[in-house]
Amino acid sequence: MNIISVKELNEKAKTLLAASPDLNDVWVQGEISNLTKHSSGHYYFTLKDQDSEIRCTLFRFTRSRLAFEPELNMKVLALGSMEVFIPKGSYQFNIQDMRRSGIGDLYLAYEALKAKLGKEGLFDQSRKRKLPRYPLRIGVVTSPTGAAIRDILQVTGRRFPADIVIAPALVQGDGAAASIVHAIESLNKLDVDVMIVGRGGGSIEDLWAFNEEAVARAIHASRVPVVSAVGHETDFTIADLVADVRAPTPSAAAELLLPDRSQEMRHLQQVTGRAEKALRGSLDRMCSRYRLAEAQLSPRKALMDLRHRNQLLDEASTSMDNLMLRRLERQRARLQSLGSSLVALSPLQVLSRGYCVLQSAQGKALVSIEQLSLGDKVTALLRDGKVTAVVEEKEAKR
Amino acid sequence: MTEGKDVETMGFEEAMASLEELVSKLEKGDLDLESSLLVYEQAVALRERCKAILEQSERRVQKLIDGPEGPELKDFE
Repeated sequence: MNIISVKELNEKAKTLLAASPDLNDVWVQGEISNLTKHSSGHYYFTLKDQDSEIRCTLFRFTRSRLAFEPELNMKVLALGSMEVFIPKGSYQFNIQDMRRSGIGDLYLAYEALKAKLGKEGLFDQSRKRKLPRYPLRIGVVTSPTGAAIRDILQVTGRRFPADIVIAPALVQGDGAAASIVHAIESLNKLDVDVMIVGRGGGSIEDLWAFNEEAVARAIHASRVPVVSAVGHETDFTIADLVADVRAPTPSAAAELLLPDRSQEMRHLQQVTGRAEKALRGSLDRMCSRYRLAEAQLSPRKALMDLRHRNQLLDEASTSMDNLMLRRLERQRARLQSLGSSLVALSPLQVLSRGYCVLQSAQGKALVSIEQLSLGDKVTALLRDGKVTAVVEEKEAKR
Repeated sequence: MTEGKDVETMGFEEAMASLEELVSKLEKGDLDLESSLLVYEQAVALRERCKAILEQSERRVQKLIDGPEGPELKDFE
């Protein structure tokens, strides 16, 4: 009886597998699951199809040469060999090369649709519409929870103020195309000035909805101009080709649509500056026209006129002074004559001419015989004194 | 043109276009002084309008939802 160790057993199996052409350098198709990306750089996962599965190793060196990043649920074609992992007594598929499968079909579909729609004229430059210079309301067709809407809101917030209407849509997976079409149609019922249709970057499968005919047709039928913003891959999607303008990312779409606030402010200042300059220009022209007209009038004549006028003015003011003086003198003379009349009117002056004033005993001036009775005492005022007398007789004037 | 239109209700695009139009009119220089001043005055009013729009930073973010009577708008966030 030949007894061997467990290790020897596994080594025999390993040698057997390594020698079998059916198990070396073979292509296997399957889907990636249980993916572990080890910190060492090696990837471990299970490749499975409907009926079976196999543990796989993808060492760092091989992985670094792959044209894509392996992800969970990805369909792949893997070239490798079956090996036995001696410490565990398990066997595994060691991958030497790997390609994405199914992509070929997608590319074919993409090219076929591109040719078909191109022939129909959906990509014609002549039907691309101009975007509004200052949109007031922007529609956004994207996932309300994705990175795209966050980027758009962030960028639009610091640029020219515009309202945003989000039309939520599924941007990947089953029903994405129908959902995007529905959102585009809904936005067309509102008064948005322009719309962004897009999502953040992803693999070709993730972006696939933007390569579907229904989405292309909805963009084509949109009354509102469309800016596509699908990921940041170099390849154009069909949506990019149909859209009025293609932006490489959602942030770029927002920047492209809304002018920069400070730039607009500078533009405004510039335009106003031009207005001021033009106004100053016409003022200057007016001024020089005026000066020209002025020069055409004879300057000597103008000077003479001026001197003459000054003289007249001087004279006038002199005569005015004289007039005032004369007037003052007249007033003084009048005052003096008035003074003498006043003196002449004084009753005392009358007395000096031989008249007298007769007063009652009560000192009242008497003018009529009716004021007196016989025997009444009266006082007569004379120039140098007074005398008292008694009424002895009364006789009225006839 | 700006005559007979209320500057205060103009959108930015319209106000800016009117402003640019007035400025080129001024720059032609074939207006008499009084008209120049009038045009300049209008230009200043338009500039103020544009500035006001630029400085007002409020904007609305809404979300479209399917209601029983078609699309409806709700505030977002």
